[in-house]
Amino acid sequence: MKKLSVDVVVIGGGATGAGVVRDVAMRGYSVAILDKADLGQGTTGRYHGLLHSGGRYVVSDPHSATECAEENEVVRRIQAHAVEDTGGLFVVTPDDDLDYSNGFAAAAAAAQVPCEELTIREALRREPRLNPGIKRAFAVRDASVDGWQLVWGAANDAKRHGAHILTYHRVTGMEVVDGSVRQVTAIDEKRGEEVQIDCNFVLNCAGPWAGQIAGMAGCEEVEVVPGRGIMIAMNHRLVNSVVNRCIYPADGDILVPVHTVSIIGTTDVKATDPDQLAIPRDEVQQMLDAGEALVPGFREARAVHAWSGARPLFKDPKVSASDTRHMTRGMKILEHDTRDGVNGILSIIGGKLTTYRLMAEHMVDIMEEKLGNQNECKTAEEIIPGNEDRKTYAVTHRLEEREHDRFEDQIICECELMSRGMITQLMTEQPTASFDDLRRQLRLGMGPCQGGFCSMRATGIAVEEQMVDVERSTELMRLFLKNRWIGLWPILNGDQVRQTALDNWIFHGTFDIEHLPQSEEEAL
Amino acid sequence: MTSHEVVQQGESHEHNTLARASLDNCVKCTICETQCPVSRVTPLFTGPKFVGPQAERFRNGESVDKSLDYCSSCGICTQACPQGVKIAEINTVARAVMKEDHMPVRDRLIVQTTLMGRFMTPFAPVANMALKNKPVRKIMQAVVGVAEDAPMPPAQMQSFEGWLKRRPRPKTQPTREPIVFFHGCAGGYFEVETSKKTVEVLEHLGYEVLVPKQGCCGLAQQSNGLFAGARRSVNALVDALLSAGKGLTIVSSSGSCTGMLKHEAHEILGMDDPRLMEVGSRIRETSEFLLELLDEGILTPDMLSPIEATIPYHQPCQVKSQAMGTPAVTVMEAIPGVKVVESGQPCCGIAGTYGLKKEKYEIAKAVGQPVFDMVKETNPDLGTCDTETCRWQIQKHSGVRMVHPVELLHQSLGLSNDLKV
Amino acid sequence: MTSHTAPIADSSLATSAQRSAAERVVVVGSGIAGLTAALTLARAGKPVTLVTKGIGGLQLSQGTIDVLGSRDGNYVPFAFDAFDGLPDSHPYRLIGKDAVLSGVETFARELGEGYFEGQAGVNALYPTAVGALRPTALVPASMAAGRAEVGRRMVIVGVRELKDYHPELIAGNLARTALPEGDPMDVRAASISLPAREGEVDSNPVMYARSMDRPEFRARFIAEVKKVIQPGEVVGVPAVLGLNDPTVHAEVEKGLGAEVFEIVSQPPCVPGMRMNQHLTVRLKELGVRIVLGAEVVGLQAHEGRVTGVDVRTAGRVRTLAAEAVIHCGGGFESGALAVDSHNRVSETLFDLPITATDATELIHGDYWGAPQPLFEVGVRVDEAMRILDAEGHPVYPNLFAAGGILAGAIRWHEKSGEGIALGSAHKAARTICEGDLS
Repeated sequence: MKKLSVDVVVIGGGATGAGVVRDVAMRGYSVAILDKADLGQGTTGRYHGLLHSGGRYVVSDPHSATECAEENEVVRRIQAHAVEDTGGLFVVTPDDDLDYSNGFAAAAAAAQVPCEELTIREALRREPRLNPGIKRAFAVRDASVDGWQLVWGAANDAKRHGAHILTYHRVTGMEVVDGSVRQVTAIDEKRGEEVQIDCNFVLNCAGPWAGQIAGMAGCEEVEVVPGRGIMIAMNHRLVNSVVNRCIYPADGDILVPVHTVSIIGTTDVKATDPDQLAIPRDEVQQMLDAGEALVPGFREARAVHAWSGARPLFKDPKVSASDTRHMTRGMKILEHDTRDGVNGILSIIGGKLTTYRLMAEHMVDIMEEKLGNQNECKTAEEIIPGNEDRKTYAVTHRLEEREHDRFEDQIICECELMSRGMITQLMTEQPTASFDDLRRQLRLGMGPCQGGFCSMRATGIAVEEQMVDVERSTELMRLFLKNRWIGLWPILNGDQVRQTALDNWIFHGTFDIEHLPQSEEEAL
Repeated sequence: MTSHEVVQQGESHEHNTLARASLDNCVKCTICETQCPVSRVTPLFTGPKFVGPQAERFRNGESVDKSLDYCSSCGICTQACPQGVKIAEINTVARAVMKEDHMPVRDRLIVQTTLMGRFMTPFAPVANMALKNKPVRKIMQAVVGVAEDAPMPPAQMQSFEGWLKRRPRPKTQPTREPIVFFHGCAGGYFEVETSKKTVEVLEHLGYEVLVPKQGCCGLAQQSNGLFAGARRSVNALVDALLSAGKGLTIVSSSGSCTGMLKHEAHEILGMDDPRLMEVGSRIRETSEFLLELLDEGILTPDMLSPIEATIPYHQPCQVKSQAMGTPAVTVMEAIPGVKVVESGQPCCGIAGTYGLKKEKYEIAKAVGQPVFDMVKETNPDLGTCDTETCRWQIQKHSGVRMVHPVELLHQSLGLSNDLKV
Repeated sequence: MTSHTAPIADSSLATSAQRSAAERVVVVGSGIAGLTAALTLARAGKPVTLVTKGIGGLQLSQGTIDVLGSRDGNYVPFAFDAFDGLPDSHPYRLIGKDAVLSGVETFARELGEGYFEGQAGVNALYPTAVGALRPTALVPASMAAGRAEVGRRMVIVGVRELKDYHPELIAGNLARTALPEGDPMDVRAASISLPAREGEVDSNPVMYARSMDRPEFRARFIAEVKKVIQPGEVVGVPAVLGLNDPTVHAEVEKGLGAEVFEIVSQPPCVPGMRMNQHLTVRLKELGVRIVLGAEVVGLQAHEGRVTGVDVRTAGRVRTLAAEAVIHCGGGFESGALAVDSHNRVSETLFDLPITATDATELIHGDYWGAPQPLFEVGVRVDEAMRILDAEGHPVYPNLFAAGGILAGAIRWHEKSGEGIALGSAHKAARTICEGDLS
């Protein structure tokens, strides 16, 4: 059993939790953040990667739009390396009517969201693959953001301020003494060890799992509805700026260039269990059709991988629970002292990645109010270390880096140009990491071949560098292949079928992984 | 609308080409890398898979991978790819983007092939002397970056056009339909002999050969990244070739220029003018055309007198990429006594103008070394190859006289007797 | 089932140029099936055109001849004994043991005596690049010493600059794998550092193989490996022992004074490339016209017979006149079979009838579960390897199939790819040679 004592425990390592732990740490509290898996493995890592300009909400939710516009600038300033300044377009496709667009520019101005109407010619010059039949186009300051970079950036900054980052720590219970939360218990999944953390306050940032966590503190049913959305990554950048459909928010209305791929999203269907998110074939078809409306020929382009994420939405009695699109997008902070009679715990539900820092600020402000403290929030001003040059990310970065180090280092993941130095360094920093954990931070196996060529290399390197023994490394390879398949089989068509056939030739044919010795338990 | 149509919307090559869409076909199998003649001889070039479908996913605007300039555009990768990735074409387009900013003077000069020929012909001895003169070549290397020892065309006393005007009219009347002859810049000014003999062989077989006034195909401009100029050249040439008559077969003894009109202008320059497509579908490389005649029984073995010789043959990369098999081998072997030995090599190194550049000269030589050795070993007196610059390259480094395969046929048909075999 | 063991005529007298175009057999695809079909036909005096989109799959293979190595995850010790237990839909039910034997013999003969070791019907286990023991029938002589046997002592030697080969992974897994007859072998790992070329840290196996063709590099390799091995150890090295020089393996064994074997990793596969080069030269010598880089896009037919194959070449689609056609275009890995974005499965060259057309029920989400049924989809054939329609009638009497396009087997699971390819190529070629085209 491991014991720890801190002022504050943050539960949930998504964007919200990472923002909160950074804020808490920067205000001088001792703090630990726990996640049952890796940072950014839940909702944060399963979205389309848009840093909102606010344009999406100018009509439906002007207050959110203004917040997005402000926070967009903040994130660009404090975490430039996680952001690519792609710019964005709102376009009226031939299938859309012009009504919505007629009020768009005025609404944007009212919400203080920078917006400029473009000529069709100019829009097509910027994005030549775009449907040439578009009727109107507006430019906004959308950007794309790497959710994992964002979360790790915030978490590492928190660490510098003394925070404990405890990934793969599944919370198993909370001890409430005299009406106040005093202790959080968890299992360290990778070491199989129980952990007890004494604390004065718990900040529940567990997103779709927030209801389960609140329940552990005896707070009456907090109903969080997971709104499932699927996204599909296409093999290369069909567009170089974010392309939104200029319509009332709907399914399949956005195409985002993120790193080397472009991501089409997203559907919205009520799910029952945030741990069991399907990628239904009909929704895949719906997304491909949506892509076709924006970029003709989309269906012929190569889908690389699909995934499903759950928006945590607080159940609002005003609308039908099966229609999650119209639930409030704004976040909700539950004060469990007044709501449930339990002191020392707050839950935050909902919100947007773009405003993760602002949400954290609100939550920590409320905590301080409860604790009777008034420390200044500096998260918007202080640049996260490593981003001081304020240079935003560019898709060309890795190509440029490999151009410089190609005579000194090997390229292990050829699709995503990840070098041997990059993976061995992260393995050293995070020795218990699975290949999926490494993947999220390095993009290992995220390109077109989906691990077909780099999985064996990563496995071999892990053993060679004595990071893990051969048994664990082999099991990690099995796990990695299994997990890649989850996002592959629902979109298995076109070029990806050929790739899968070749990958299967390699792994089942040439390597004969079926006949490798197998451990009783799956690796973690 | 198909994706192929979609990608042609962009005017700028840096955004959209047929080639970029084909990167989706890559399954990383690395077959292209095993065939690349450049990465085989130098680690400076990172190889076609890296530079092509891999790097292309990371390109947007700014050029950051200057090493892609080591690609010679030979096209072997594209031909070898079992998945249909237009690897060489991706590289050529990316290089054009890279060079937009800083085009070396040399790249502009080398590509002015027609001008160079026009300038040199009337002054051939002087031009030849200048090119053979070491100090002059040294200055060219220093100033414009053309390698001091680069194989340069021998200028001729008479251009092909001049010969056409002055020659006696053919004795026999044509018995078959008219065909158009496209000689290319080299065939017009440097490789005049090849052009003459091609015309004579075709006439001998009963064709009326039409030679419209024609300019450059733009290939050299394209491979050096000068796309706008290349497009202009293609358009002018297409007009010229079509002016000779409707629906005619076009025959060309310049293998690389044929490839430009057949597919490169479409795949690399993104041109899809129906007139270009028509020319592309009607044009035949000489040996390709002769094989059709052989298969159809128009050219028959009894017309051919024996030549007892073992003939080395190198099929140029730019002819390989036309996916026509090796018609020259079949045609030459139709001559009784001829045994053809193929180089089995991807490229002689010159790859158009690549091997002329001083920083590429040694690479190009290393690429071609197995070809030079093979030619020398097979027949020290005579070798064959379908493209002019390749012949210059092989001849320079092997010391063996290199001719177009049609010259062998010319001799076998009894039209000449000047090949020492 | 009849045995086709009659001697095949040599056609060296007749050059291809002397025949008319209409008489040619067109073989589509240049993987192991296409190359073998073309060779068999050419040896029998048939004029052949081999048309292929790119270089064939041998370079992507594991370099061995598999016949049937595994069923439901279990090793098959004797391949032919297991044929009777295969489902009716399996291609071996139609190809039969005799054709497989003949096909394997033809292939082995073309590569020259001593190239392969082993027997078509008997499997042995050899180490893979992740340290699994893989069953196969014939291996090139350069791999033979890797045969897993109780009591063997092995050292797996890697080269640090070669990223596709990790000796610790291979040795570590081999050392914990019990052989069917008993304990694991005694296996350890060792590494050397030897750039394929000056200053290079990241080279593919082909680059190494080319360097190994040079005596001075070979000598350095031997000297470095010698430092890390011990007497009595069998030495496993990456499959880079020469590309064009067939003596490299023997020389390395001599230099090290030890038995040496190659282990193939992910593509490119040097042993496959050696075979491909060798067979391509043979085809050229026999006058086969090889059209590389041309995609086959359709068929021409007249009066119920195939008369030609449409091929996309630079600038135009041309028709290659054909007396008969053998489709050796491969399966999903080559794109001869494809799934579109609406989940429709099709044969992409000629839009031929295939065993299933809706992919949705043929793919499941359990990576480690049952093999994906999608990869059993293909064309159905009769015993002569004629492609059949849904009613079981030949689509055309002179249209055949061989290799990966055949339905009914997931080759990578079964370790049956080469046996199916060689057996079916042999059968199709024999049918054509015997003039049975109606």
